[in-house]
Amino acid sequence: MGITRRRFLGYTAGVVTAGLRGLPLDPTSRRYVLLDLDEHGCFRESVSGYESALTSAGVRWMPGDARWISPARCAVLIVPAALEIPPPVVRVIMSCLQTGASVILESGAGFAADRDYRAHRVALRDYLQVHIEMPVDLWPDNSSQRIPYVDYTWPRPAKVRDFSRVVPLGRQTGEVIARVDGLPVGLRRASGRGRLIFLGSPLGPALWAGDAEARRWLFDCLRTAGEQA
Amino acid sequence: MKKAIGDNMIPKEWGFEKGLELVKQAGFDGIELWLGDVPWFQMSTADSEVRELRRKVENAGLVVSNVSTGLHWASPLSARDPKVRAQAVRIVEREIETAVLLGTDAILLVAGLVTPEVPYNEVYQRCLEALRPLGEKAARSGVRIGCENCNAEQRFLISPREFWQFLNDMNSPAVGIHLDVGNIHDTGFAEQWIEIHGPRITRIHVKDVMTKRGRCGDQSVYTNLFLGDNNWPAIRGAMTKVGYDGWLVAEMEARYRYAPDQQFYDTARAMDRLISGRF
Repeated sequence: MGITRRRFLGYTAGVVTAGLRGLPLDPTSRRYVLLDLDEHGCFRESVSGYESALTSAGVRWMPGDARWISPARCAVLIVPAALEIPPPVVRVIMSCLQTGASVILESGAGFAADRDYRAHRVALRDYLQVHIEMPVDLWPDNSSQRIPYVDYTWPRPAKVRDFSRVVPLGRQTGEVIARVDGLPVGLRRASGRGRLIFLGSPLGPALWAGDAEARRWLFDCLRTAGEQA
Repeated sequence: MKKAIGDNMIPKEWGFEKGLELVKQAGFDGIELWLGDVPWFQMSTADSEVRELRRKVENAGLVVSNVSTGLHWASPLSARDPKVRAQAVRIVEREIETAVLLGTDAILLVAGLVTPEVPYNEVYQRCLEALRPLGEKAARSGVRIGCENCNAEQRFLISPREFWQFLNDMNSPAVGIHLDVGNIHDTGFAEQWIEIHGPRITRIHVKDVMTKRGRCGDQSVYTNLFLGDNNWPAIRGAMTKVGYDGWLVAEMEARYRYAPDQQFYDTARAMDRLISGRF
């Protein structure tokens, strides 16, 4: 079995402290990095959601700054509620993908002003080849009759509350991993040596609100991505 | 204990000054000013104009009991859209600023709205996060924020224990409850809310409620004091028990169809009976 003692202990600690079987906690291993875009993102609560979910599960993670993230040390890069994606962030996302990391990129453009949305769309298209459509208001008349869930199909089936407005995906390569009201809002695709997971409906606010299903989805996602890193 | 009534009860065609005369003549001690609900007090009303409102109130022999607003029904602190939330915060800030200008120490807000779209857990968290810095600002200004219990319409903090826990989580002496004894309907008993919240009560809204009657079209479940199902002797007893000696503020939803000024006189007399405890 190709596993070192240190890594085995790391895995075991992960099971005990977090119930997240397989998440590598070894300090020398590649890390989970949460990139806080601060004024370039749009939902602080999304960042807080990832922080609280990772911390409460005992996951070894670190806050990232695009200027000093080491892509080679990064197993999974999480970019919550991105709106403006400045060049240093694009560079670090692309470097992480090139070195075999997974990147969870969450769009925060659902509530964005038109000009900000257009810049967001261009950045996604030009740098990451992710094609998005105009944001869709899922609750135009505050109807109490719709089913308020995004249905995820990978890495596990999960129902997570929608966040009122979503950024649907256009036609493109990759696997659609989430839909709401028939709209594709989650994408997974290989990119470089890594994997890009794009979320057109923010997961962070659900994590922040304590949605257990959202947390399970995230942890499964991290485990799967971490194993592949 | 002093009694006040909202300026949103003043018939619109009367104007502010004539309304103040009525409030004074009816026997009230003060007036609650509703930011955004009346033409004379809007978000766009300048500081100098707010000072002028205060001058008019004092010239009428009244004081401002508190500043309230219904603007958070459209722009709640719990909104998902950051732009709406920023506007909601600005409304509270303006309430605090105008409370200082008007010489009062309490404001009312509707803390959050649970809807089919925005679920309870989000609303709870978002309200806490929004109110923490606002509580600090209020404390610096010598103002207390009273979150109103709008149980049925708000679908948030519906029981007194939930509200108590929320205020515990807030952990700020500047954030309390503006208790509306008419809003509890048949989800509980106003006197128990008073007992549980005691010193955290910033102001008390009074109106009566018909608990056996649901809303139907434009029909109101609210009515004048002593005409509904509230247990007023118990409510008065609870006020005494917790030592509440602050403002009672009349807030009737249903207005008189004829002779609208008569409601002011009737309400003031009923509040006198409530305060005196003679039932």
